[in-house]
Amino acid sequence: MTRLDTRGVPRGPIPARAGIGLRSVHHDALLTDRPAVGFIEAHTENYFHEGGAAVRALLRARANYPLSLHGVGLGLGSADGVDREHLQRVKNAIARFEPVLVSEHACWGHAGGEHFNDLLPLPYTEEAVEVLARQVVEAQDFLGVQLLIENVSAYVAFEYSRLREWEFLSAVAARSGCALLLDVNNIYVSAQNLGLDPLEFIDSLPVESVREIHVAGHARNGAVLIDDHGSQVCEPVWDLYRRAIARFGAVPTLVEWDNNIPSLDTLVAEARRAELILGEVHGLAA
Amino acid sequence: MASLREMQRSFAAALRDPAVTCPVLPPANLAVYRNNGTITFREALEQTFPVLRRRVGDDYFRQLSVHYRQSFPSRSGDLHWAGRDFAGFLDDYLAGGEYHWLADLARIEWARAECSISRELPSLGVDSLTGYPSEALERLVFGLQPSLHLLASAYPVYTVWLTNQVQNAPPVDQSLGSEKGMIRIRHDFIDVRKLDPAAFSFISALSSGCTLGDAMTAASLDARALTTILAFLFSEGIVSSLTLSSK
Repeated sequence: MTRLDTRGVPRGPIPARAGIGLRSVHHDALLTDRPAVGFIEAHTENYFHEGGAAVRALLRARANYPLSLHGVGLGLGSADGVDREHLQRVKNAIARFEPVLVSEHACWGHAGGEHFNDLLPLPYTEEAVEVLARQVVEAQDFLGVQLLIENVSAYVAFEYSRLREWEFLSAVAARSGCALLLDVNNIYVSAQNLGLDPLEFIDSLPVESVREIHVAGHARNGAVLIDDHGSQVCEPVWDLYRRAIARFGAVPTLVEWDNNIPSLDTLVAEARRAELILGEVHGLAA
Repeated sequence: MASLREMQRSFAAALRDPAVTCPVLPPANLAVYRNNGTITFREALEQTFPVLRRRVGDDYFRQLSVHYRQSFPSRSGDLHWAGRDFAGFLDDYLAGGEYHWLADLARIEWARAECSISRELPSLGVDSLTGYPSEALERLVFGLQPSLHLLASAYPVYTVWLTNQVQNAPPVDQSLGSEKGMIRIRHDFIDVRKLDPAAFSFISALSSGCTLGDAMTAASLDARALTTILAFLFSEGIVSSLTLSSK
């Protein structure tokens, strides 16, 4: 397998600042108010189309902010292979919007022709490392960019997993040449649900592999934490975030808030909090 | 140990049917994924079919979503297309019943969804006709906006759609009978509009590539009616190109 160590993905530097997830309800306010956020991140699948108000809004926002395109639909760990039609649409979106970062998830999403439109969990086995790494390489080769692969929230554990999650992700990054997008809320949710140590995860990943961090809120449903991106980031997740940036450096950080979407001001205030922590830990002007 | 493919096939089967158990699957919490899938799919339909949902209520819409997904599971990693077969599904699901008209209401809403992502081409004004000699006009072929959808229904679904832009609208009298109309986007506004049968026939003929003369014949239009419809098409920005047929 080729190691993709010469990819010059980003077409420009993305600042070590906090960004916000772009939601359609904020399109107008983002263009009018021009809040001081470091970058914006858009779900790639929301901008696949040729025309429409959303596409035009992203093109305009793209002129003001560095853009990260974050995919949720490729399911690169699907054993049935990569959906080439979907991959072509991602490639079209990259050509059109010129993102500085392009990311996807360490998950599977389709089997037997049916798509589940969810970030489904992989067992942490040698076979799953091989399948995900091979398909990340296939996607990177086709797209012509280095991907950032994100850890997902888990609600289940496979008894026959032989690797820990951080070992799994490290192996995928090493074999495919991808970078990692570390979702600190997902680490917290998975650790709570499965009785794992979130600090071990953060302290064990290779320092150079992490290029972006996500923070978000979650919900509780009985004994299970659900990664719903529907509220403010909680204090334990901010504590993990401090630990993560102390280890991985001043990494671009995104606040995700996709359900119960607040006003743009509230979202920007949450991003501001991430920037203050970046400032505290790394002595950056916030 | 199951292969990755075997595990994913078993996981997929268990997502579709809670009764499926398999030793390669984790014992607990599969329901979280099952619920996520159900809700995500339904929310995609809710975004596309808000008027239909308002008309049938949340409980019945939830039931429709579950049954529709069983027959037409998502075939794409992009859920925007989840509603593509919904109208056809409703045609069968509601066939012969008093709510069969919901299928055509779904067609209007799906057309709206397609319009929302459609390109808008620059439109021509009526003065563009002056560039052609009068004897050539009947050979003109009209290019219409790509977003334009023309839908005919045996039911008064345009009235249903228009009436149900507010909550708790009264039921529409189905004896009003068949309606024809168009859906298109202009300046980011999606226009849903009833058309009279002659205008519908004429625009449908133009849309299928007929010349102006053939479209007039197909719709049995006289000169006065033609003038009215042409004024409508140009003033509403529906015409994007004119070409002269060699026939």
